[in-house]
Amino acid sequence: MKPFNRAAIVSISSIAFSAVLLLAASLHATPAPQAPASSGKLTASAIQINRMGPAEGLLVPEDFRISTYENIIAQVDKTKKFQHVYREGDKRAADAADLVIVNFMPVAYTEGSQKKREVTTIKGATSIQVKVQFTSRDGKVLLERDLEGKVRFFGENLRATYDLAKKVAATINESF
Amino acid sequence: MMKSSNLPMSTEMPGNQRRVARKSFLLASVFICAIGVILASTAATSFSRTFNGQQTLPSNMTPEVKCVVGFDNIKPDTRGTLTFLPTGLQFTTDKQKGEILTASITDVFAGQESRQDVSGMAGTVVKAGIPYGGGRVVSLFSHKVEVLTVEFNDENGGFHGAIFVLANGKATELRNALVKQGAKTVEHVTVAAPAEEKK
Repeated sequence: MKPFNRAAIVSISSIAFSAVLLLAASLHATPAPQAPASSGKLTASAIQINRMGPAEGLLVPEDFRISTYENIIAQVDKTKKFQHVYREGDKRAADAADLVIVNFMPVAYTEGSQKKREVTTIKGATSIQVKVQFTSRDGKVLLERDLEGKVRFFGENLRATYDLAKKVAATINESF
Repeated sequence: MMKSSNLPMSTEMPGNQRRVARKSFLLASVFICAIGVILASTAATSFSRTFNGQQTLPSNMTPEVKCVVGFDNIKPDTRGTLTFLPTGLQFTTDKQKGEILTASITDVFAGQESRQDVSGMAGTVVKAGIPYGGGRVVSLFSHKVEVLTVEFNDENGGFHGAIFVLANGKATELRNALVKQGAKTVEHVTVAAPAEEKK
């Protein structure tokens, strides 16, 4: 193999230099992560998670609703941001000093199929879009987000609820 | 002189390497296919075990039930035995136990679904590893299951939901038994199954 001549070395190094410049510029241009609605981070010692409310004309299967609720409770608990994570209807939440209440409203739901996903790889995705609202006890909206949980390739349909729960936990991590 | 003696060697080596690579690729394919077949057969036997097991166990016990979610002390997707008791439902694994009292149940729902015969992390890896898209063929094999969804309240009034995956027909049977025992139910609007699931 012939060694590189000077011209080749110069051209390679100039390409590498311009690539580094482009990378630096793109990093500088990357938008900052979306800040919470309020100026600073929210604070609360307790959180109450309510069940997914019904949406007009949208049928979400019962097991999907339950799986979403249970996965969200597990993922919020894992964030360790709150001393107490209360479920809907828990009487102890009434005595919690600074409580944040989370409500979920389904916006869109597409029931896919595991078989279709794995056989075609492009069809059969399951997705659920919800409006997540963090409110104070008196109903004041502190934070609102539109989140989507989906399963595209491998896994059962209920895996979309786990994906959604992970996104709710990520929202809590960046806002509290 | 040196060049002429080296030339045949250099042309022969890639051929050998190609042959070795082809052989090892073939061996790897055969190995992955064998794992796929073994996994498929174990899935089939575990499924048939469900029905055989039910014959030897008391009628109120359902073995090989998957608890998708539901109990704080039991990990998601754990397999165990679901027992119908005079007081409600009990899910037991080798180490843990969870109970739902009939009086605390606010809703019970049974629905039919389709599950893959070869599933889980190991099944997914094997399916992905089968060459020439063979994993997709394995994905075609599925069986009907029933999902039992139970909604209940804890002693503090907190809402809980439990999802169990059972053999076809078993969830409806358990739901009816729970309703007979006094469990509350709510009228549900059923969601149509995706087109390809209908048979």
